[in-house]
Amino acid sequence: MDQTAISINKLNKWYGDFHVLKDIDLQVATGEQVVICGPSGSGKSTLIRCVNRLEAYQDGHIEVMGQEETNLPRLRRQVGMVFQQFNLFPHLTVLRNCTLAMTRALRMDQAEAEETALRMLERVRIREQALKFPTQLSGGQQQRVAIARALCMSPKAMLFDEPTSALDPEMIKEVLDVMADLAQDGMTMICVTHEMGFARQVADRIVFMDAGQVVEVAPPDSFFANPQNLRTRTFLEQIL
Amino acid sequence: MSFSEIFLGILEGLDVTLTVTAFGLLFAIPFALVAGVAQQFLTGWKRAPVTAIIEFWRSTPILVLMFMFYYTLPVAGVYLNATTVAAMTLGLHIGAYGSQSVRAALQALDRGQVEAGLAIGLTRWQVLLTIELPQMAVAMLPTFVNQFIQLVKGTALVALITMTDMTARAKELSQLTFDPPAIYGALMLAYFLLLYPATVLGRHLERVVGRRSGRLNGGRAGDV
Ligand SMILES: Nc1ncnc2c1ncn2[C@@H]1O[C@H](COP(=O)(O)OP(=O)(O)OP(=O)(O)O)[C@@H](O)[C@H]1O
Ligand SMILES: [Mg+2]
Repeated sequence: MDQTAISINKLNKWYGDFHVLKDIDLQVATGEQVVICGPSGSGKSTLIRCVNRLEAYQDGHIEVMGQEETNLPRLRRQVGMVFQQFNLFPHLTVLRNCTLAMTRALRMDQAEAEETALRMLERVRIREQALKFPTQLSGGQQQRVAIARALCMSPKAMLFDEPTSALDPEMIKEVLDVMADLAQDGMTMICVTHEMGFARQVADRIVFMDAGQVVEVAPPDSFFANPQNLRTRTFLEQIL
Repeated sequence: MSFSEIFLGILEGLDVTLTVTAFGLLFAIPFALVAGVAQQFLTGWKRAPVTAIIEFWRSTPILVLMFMFYYTLPVAGVYLNATTVAAMTLGLHIGAYGSQSVRAALQALDRGQVEAGLAIGLTRWQVLLTIELPQMAVAMLPTFVNQFIQLVKGTALVALITMTDMTARAKELSQLTFDPPAIYGALMLAYFLLLYPATVLGRHLERVVGRRSGRLNGGRAGDV
């Protein structure tokens, strides 16, 4: 059974007069990993931010697990997001960063929340840093905490917006490894990234966006070996 | 009268100065928070009344506010005692300035913090309470101390609505003994001793908070 986790239908969005997303259609199956790539300004971030409604859209529909949830906090608990800049809460320890939404939004008791948090920190291999503050961690560690924080809400899907772009090169791998593990465990993922090695290894499909449109969607093998669209080819020549 | 007698005479007004300051804070802090947050969050016409209230308290001279509430409200049948009037007018005046610091601090917070809070399923209100306000409070400590100092200095006006604070005591003493240099020198000394620790604390906090935010904004590579 190949249930659709995220279904984007005829999505259009404007910033004022600027048509930033044009008739986007994209279905992501449960357990599927989709990588989105494309030139800067093509609308990749805007698209995934529409999925958890950090951005409003004017036209079209996005369904998560078969419904268009209008209660935004509830929607966002189903879809975790990891940001380029980590965005950990600097005034809270790693552990409290993870438990905050469980105790506040899910009304879980503190002990249960901490247990879940430690389990998720274990999963991203950073449990031993639980009592530190974010600023005491390296970038790669911070990003792994951000992943654990999102996982704590038991999301049905995860969105990643260039999770390794702000990292020093030597820290990129530790984050990508954690993401690959997640994929292995069957997490539904939409990941904006320019890490083509990761895309090749992990993605079921690669989506190429340009100027607010989905230009090409293909499995990694054919995407890299045999891109259909001229714009895709130009883009790949530039980054590979 | 010796200088020390004058000084002790002035300190008889200390309790009034401190009482007005303490009650003034009870007006200033909640008003600054509520007005600053409201002004930041409300949009369009809903924001106008908040701005109007802030501007009223901020732009009217404290002395005029005091006279207004102490001498003209009784005409309308409303009697407030001098301590209440003093604490309210000073507190809301300082609080109105404070609201602008609150708002500035909210605006200065990284937008990513709010987005991260929303993205894990918190409501906007929960984000404000658990993420923005705590971070803002730390950043605002030095400003808070400065405004506390303004408040204490403002209490020197309460003599004009019949209260016997340190400044009023100085005026009383000047009628007993004609020695302005000693009397007003002693008065300045009293305020200095009261406020100097606060200025030192303020400077210390500024350094600590400055260092913290320096670190937050990524001294280390990859910290960002
Ligand atoms: N708040 C906004 N107001 C107006 N225009 C915006 C806003 N946010 C983004 N844009 C514009 O929308 C377009 C798409 O932006 P978006 O951030 O989605 O691109 P992106 O594909 O993620 O690019 P990058 O690779 O640089 O992150 C850009 O041209 C950008 O300038
Ligand atoms: Mg982007």
